[in-house]
Amino acid sequence: MRDAGAVLLEATGVSKGFGGVRAVDDVSLAVREGTIHALIGPNGAGKTTFFNAISGYAFPDRGRVTFRGADVTRVPNWRRVAVGMGRTFQTPSVFPELSVEENVRLGVRAHAGQAFRLRASRGEAHAAVERRVDELLGFVNLTARRTRPLAELAHGSQRLCEIAMSLSTEPVMVLLDEPMAGLAEAESERIITVIRDLRERLGLTVLFVEHNMRVVLSLADRITVLDRGRVLAEGTPAEIAANRAVRDAYLGEGVLDHV
Amino acid sequence: MSGRAALAAGAAVLVVLLFAPLLAPLVKLDISIVSEVLLMAIAAMGVNLLLGYTGLPAFGNAAYFGLGSYGAALSVTYAHVGFAGAVAIGTVAGLLGGLVLGPFLLRRRGIYFGLLSIAFGQVFYFVAYRYTDVTGGEDGMNIVRPAVEGAHAVVSDSAFYYVAFAAFVVCLAAFRTVVGSPFGRTLVGIRQNEPRVRYLGLNSDRFIFVALLLAATMTGLAGALFGLLIDFAYPLELDWHQSGDFVLMMILGGGGTVWGPLLGACVYVIGKDIISTITPLWQIFLGALFVACVLGFPRGILGTLEAAVRRRDAGRFTDDDVNAAFDPNAPVEVGRGA
Repeated sequence: MRDAGAVLLEATGVSKGFGGVRAVDDVSLAVREGTIHALIGPNGAGKTTFFNAISGYAFPDRGRVTFRGADVTRVPNWRRVAVGMGRTFQTPSVFPELSVEENVRLGVRAHAGQAFRLRASRGEAHAAVERRVDELLGFVNLTARRTRPLAELAHGSQRLCEIAMSLSTEPVMVLLDEPMAGLAEAESERIITVIRDLRERLGLTVLFVEHNMRVVLSLADRITVLDRGRVLAEGTPAEIAANRAVRDAYLGEGVLDHV
Repeated sequence: MSGRAALAAGAAVLVVLLFAPLLAPLVKLDISIVSEVLLMAIAAMGVNLLLGYTGLPAFGNAAYFGLGSYGAALSVTYAHVGFAGAVAIGTVAGLLGGLVLGPFLLRRRGIYFGLLSIAFGQVFYFVAYRYTDVTGGEDGMNIVRPAVEGAHAVVSDSAFYYVAFAAFVVCLAAFRTVVGSPFGRTLVGIRQNEPRVRYLGLNSDRFIFVALLLAATMTGLAGALFGLLIDFAYPLELDWHQSGDFVLMMILGGGGTVWGPLLGACVYVIGKDIISTITPLWQIFLGALFVACVLGFPRGILGTLEAAVRRRDAGRFTDDDVNAAFDPNAPVEVGRGA
């Protein structure tokens, strides 16, 4: 449990609507450096919309987003990546026809400023790229499957590859949108270990959306609960578990009795 | 196909093309038809770069083709430039077309990119069609094939073939380099998943714009040479039917492959030449071929062949599979089986 670092990502009064529906309504949230911060809430609470708004996938209608002290509210997504923000999607966003290593290599080359070149790098530059690819594949344990096209791999492996890709740009913070969605128990365990490693071994800050309460309560340092587009509560896992409003509005009593 | 076999096959094709002026008469083929095949192949390569590799529905590439043709025709007619000058001006006209249309097309994706491409092509078509005083309107304009600068002899049909051949080889080499490069792999990434490319920190618009300029330049070159080949420029070269023909050739041969456009152009141009001597309804046969292609083998001739070879190779076990089977830390594969 940590709560020491400075604020890394801050959203202030973020709103986003579609037609007449205000999917995210005046949401503020601060993620501190070195924490694992979870965003929970029932279906339709606006979690993914909020995620998209702060990661530059779809700009917010109102409000402000700062990252590492700079205003990034309307900074295009590809430029946010350059300042250290990585993200994954609910459905693994990968290149399905390319092999695992090519998926990761695209990211490593992009970060090394080689993506625009007409010639593959040689010598030391090439070796550095390949070393980094090996390292990332090792981190998510996909080395043995490196030559397989992504489309042939199971969901969990695709998600691990996506995490490796989001790490290839050397972010200081990663945003994971429902990293455990649609995974079997064993696959979820792998992802949980990897998320812990993101902080323990790489020193990254993590913001993730999740449904599974057991996972959230065991993994997160801080939890923000969204309901119908608004912040219902925020606090440590123990505070959230004890919060009456959260219990009443969203969580089954039974879920929290185990904690 | 293993790398070496593919290379040998490619070299063989180039050797056959090199001796085409000697070989063509043996099969009663006019050498100008072979020139046309090569020029159409260049234009189909332009579609291939945008549609086959980058996934952009390039349904208006005739605009660049026609700009190339009219660029050559107008410069010969009004500025009396030589052969090389006409080709250069036509090629630059294609590039300029890409520079002008690119910023508008860049804002669109998917079907909207396709529709806007068609619409821009039609704008050029109507300009050529209506601006009768300069372009000859519906009748088109004759091009008196100029001599090469400094020489006096007009380029003969077999000499012209080698010009087309040289243009094809240059474009093919450029195309191979581009699609095999990190830049080309990023284009494939854009086709498969553009949001992910952007979340790798890359401005995909920049990549698309460069691909568009490359395609426009190649297509402009093809158009300029085509105008000089048939000594004529006409509005239908700018029409969306022409754009459709380029797409058809790419799909027939195999989108996303290096040699597919040549194969598709070959089947299309020679098929049209043969069938149209038998029946004026040749379009029905090409249409049927297209339908059969899309329904039966959507990867095109070459794409289907490559997939078959890959399937054969995939039947063999690799060390990786064996290692994966014994890796205690490997993520558990559910469903499809490792």
